[in-house]
Amino acid sequence: MATRLLQEIEASLNELNNIILGKEQQVRLALTCILASGHLLLEDLPGMGKTTLAHALSKVLGLDYKRIQFTSDLLPADLIGASVFDATASTFSFHRGPIFSSIFLADELNRATPKAQSALLEAMEEGQVSVDGETHVLPQPFFVIATQNPQSQSGTFPLPESQLDRFMFRLSLGYPDPSVERALLKGGQGRSALNNVQQILNTESLQQIQRLIPQIKVSDTLLDYVQRLIAQTRQDELCQLGLSPRGAIALVTSAQCWALLQGRSHVMPEDVQAVFVAVAGHRIVGKKETQGDQLARHILHSVDAVGNRAPV
Amino acid sequence: MFNKGFTTNFNITYSAMMWLLVAQLVVMAPLLFYLPIWIFPVLLFSAGWRMRVMQGHQEQPQKILKTIIAGVGIAGLFFSGMPMVSLDMMASLLMLGFAYKALEVVEKRDALVVILTGFLLIGVLFIYSQSMLVALYGAFALMILTGALIALQHDGAIQIDNSHKSTRALLNRIIPNLKLSTLMLLLCLPLMLMFFIVVPRFAPLWSVALSGGGHAKTGISDSMTPGDIANLSQSDGLAFTVKFMGERPQQNELYWRGIVMQHFDGKTWTQSSESFEPETIKRKLRTDVQAIRNRLVKKGYGREYEIIYEKTAQPWLFALTPVVNIKGDALYGSDYTLMARADLLEPKMLSLTSYPDAIRDEYLDEKTRQRSLQLPKGGNPQTRNLVKRLLLQSSTKMDYITRVMSRFKQQNYYYTLRPGLLGDFNTIDEFLINNKKGFCAHYAGSFVFMMREAGIPARVVTGYQGGKWNEQGQFLSVHQYDAHAWTEVWLKGKGWVRFDPTAMVAPSRIEKNLELAVGPEGGFLENKIFSMKKYSWLNKLQSKMDSAQYAWRRFVLGYDRNSQSAFLKRVFGELSLQKIAMIVSGFFIGIIMLWSLLLGLGRKPQREAEEHQLYRKFCQHLEKYGVNKKLSQSPTEFSQYAASQLPSLAKDIEVFTQYYSQLCYNPSPAETTSEKNSITVLRDLLNKIKKGKFSESSGSF
Repeated sequence: MATRLLQEIEASLNELNNIILGKEQQVRLALTCILASGHLLLEDLPGMGKTTLAHALSKVLGLDYKRIQFTSDLLPADLIGASVFDATASTFSFHRGPIFSSIFLADELNRATPKAQSALLEAMEEGQVSVDGETHVLPQPFFVIATQNPQSQSGTFPLPESQLDRFMFRLSLGYPDPSVERALLKGGQGRSALNNVQQILNTESLQQIQRLIPQIKVSDTLLDYVQRLIAQTRQDELCQLGLSPRGAIALVTSAQCWALLQGRSHVMPEDVQAVFVAVAGHRIVGKKETQGDQLARHILHSVDAVGNRAPV
Repeated sequence: MFNKGFTTNFNITYSAMMWLLVAQLVVMAPLLFYLPIWIFPVLLFSAGWRMRVMQGHQEQPQKILKTIIAGVGIAGLFFSGMPMVSLDMMASLLMLGFAYKALEVVEKRDALVVILTGFLLIGVLFIYSQSMLVALYGAFALMILTGALIALQHDGAIQIDNSHKSTRALLNRIIPNLKLSTLMLLLCLPLMLMFFIVVPRFAPLWSVALSGGGHAKTGISDSMTPGDIANLSQSDGLAFTVKFMGERPQQNELYWRGIVMQHFDGKTWTQSSESFEPETIKRKLRTDVQAIRNRLVKKGYGREYEIIYEKTAQPWLFALTPVVNIKGDALYGSDYTLMARADLLEPKMLSLTSYPDAIRDEYLDEKTRQRSLQLPKGGNPQTRNLVKRLLLQSSTKMDYITRVMSRFKQQNYYYTLRPGLLGDFNTIDEFLINNKKGFCAHYAGSFVFMMREAGIPARVVTGYQGGKWNEQGQFLSVHQYDAHAWTEVWLKGKGWVRFDPTAMVAPSRIEKNLELAVGPEGGFLENKIFSMKKYSWLNKLQSKMDSAQYAWRRFVLGYDRNSQSAFLKRVFGELSLQKIAMIVSGFFIGIIMLWSLLLGLGRKPQREAEEHQLYRKFCQHLEKYGVNKKLSQSPTEFSQYAASQLPSLAKDIEVFTQYYSQLCYNPSPAETTSEKNSITVLRDLLNKIKKGKFSESSGSF
């Protein structure tokens, strides 16, 4: 069964890589995040293929998906839905908003006001929404893929650290390689290709994978390493705000998922290293100009990957 | 690290304030026996005010108000009658500041000042008293002060929780501090002992006048005026303790001779014709041991004993007479007395050898004879008549003395501590003929008067008689109530002979003790609340306490400069300054090492598991071949890199890494044997890698 799942995962990755060219690592991380039941934050400049990736992911997973373009005048009701008076029945009935879907794509999340942002983030945390005193459970699985522009761009409301912490990964796609770019320019690729994306995983496979993840073995030696990393984020001289326990749990879970994607039954240091920047980059805050992913990489390089020395 | 956003609190917490107050009370309490007692309310007032400020009822006092309060306190000290430049004044000033400071304790550093002053005050306490109990109390005070110091550093960690005001919760807050402070003090104990035993003691470079309550003169007085004492008050204070090296003399032989009184002015007996200061008398009396020995004819055998004198603020020392050898620092007086070089402000220990049966002054020089026959002109006509009568009856001088002695026994003389007053004139007549009631001073004084009137050289001697034998500690303690006066008469061929007329009247005073001599009439320590003579179990307890306190005096207080150098000489041989320095630093280093062991500073850093050690060795070996592992490289990454760099060893490197990764990241849960096997494999591979490279490089040559 596991081999079938692995094949399916492999196939999904191929399918995704056909859409997003030359970004195998990022694509694999994005899939890892979704398979580990985490919410994904894609941060990049406009036009780098964030939305395409989000689209493709939802298609490959075969989950129903809705997308909202976040703007500064977006209201929470636009996301969650509202009670509407039904004249024939003379009652108020709840009209579900776009958030009631398995994959919710929040495009340009940081363009919305904090009010709308927090409505979404609440849903991410609780898995349910409350309207007019009634609680509505969101469908399972429920993933949020949010894209955002770098915060230096005008007209954005930066997400506070506490809300960033709820995203398991933050990824940037970055500029494509020249050769890949040339292929893009030659045409044929792009959004039109999205229509050809095949659904490979179904809900059942997804659940099976999610059940497999906790079974991936995490040895004491590896946890020593993880703890050394965490400790380093908390005491590094460049670091002001370290990794939270939630972040640490996300690190281990996603490393397990990554190992699964590699077809391994146990986690190795390289699995942790592969996901570390995506997990830690948006959670830690630096003291100086070294920030985000760069700071995370710095920490990764200053921690011994072997041995069982306790964190200092 | 995570103190961002939290400000460090410099202000003192409520519980620390409580600690501080308790510590202040503990420190001040014993000093109030010696210093003005009104400083105590000052402390309560200041601390009370400060507490109300902390609770928000009152404002912190203004500067002007504080100045006024301080001025009032200083004025109080000024008018308290203490000399301006004296120890008492300085100590009181320190105490006053200590008490006032409670009002000002706002920040931690203020509290630190108070605590450090407290440490100093404990030291001051030892100037006033060095008894064992005070030492124990001092240790207790140290513990509380250190506890307060710890509480001060608990940065509000111990919150005041009004919902848990039970005693238990209170104890839970107090006991950990006390435990820690006790531990800290115990850690300091070796250092203290070292300083006490080894570090040389130097004489003080300067000194302040010691006076007032702490150093009131105690013990035997320089003069004797029997007629003025209607009711002899007594003290149960300790005068000195004696340990005999050989056999203990009989109780009635224990005449601890102190002051010799030569001069009588009709009412008062004094040491010399003019009322000299003790210093002058000492200078006049002073002689050397050789002069004393020349005037002696040794008879009988010597008594060796060790005496620890309590502080008296006087120079007089007491011993069985005559003393022929002194170990320790003391002066010989020409009248066979002993004197200390300075007034006894702290206990003093001497080792003495006496020959009680020796003949003193076989030949009397004219000057001493004159002095020993001195009597005031006129007065006491009845006594003079009596002397004439008795002289006519007696054939020899000895016969006369016997008659006088037996007169005390036969006539209706009565030994009492409440003799009544004798007026200002003819006091001898009043006592000898009319009243016939008196204590030792009356008998001794009138006896000497009668001797001198008859032309026989005689003098009054005061000191102590008897003492209480402590069976448990095998020592004799002589108390103030053992004070006694007797006489010495010079007889041709016999020298100075001791006569004690009191023994005629009340033999039990000499053979047993004062309590029996006074008997049912009372007067013995009757105005002492804590007179424990009535209860046997209290007596036993008392005797135990006495013996512990004797040991304290003997071994702690008695360990002065002389005994220290003697002890060090015995242990380390002849001492030079360098040698002392070596010993001290040796001890010091030893103690520091002991501490570091106790505090775990010497503990080895935690070692890594064996497989990791092997892996690090593996990396070291590859390093020698120029293949360095980056810190953050994972084993797999590194093995790929190393294999590409060292193709000849690629296989071994890969296998080693595989085993290592398997062991570290995919361990089989229960099987430790496979783990051991893997480690063996790792070790073998490591050896192979070591040699493999070597053979390859040698092959390339």
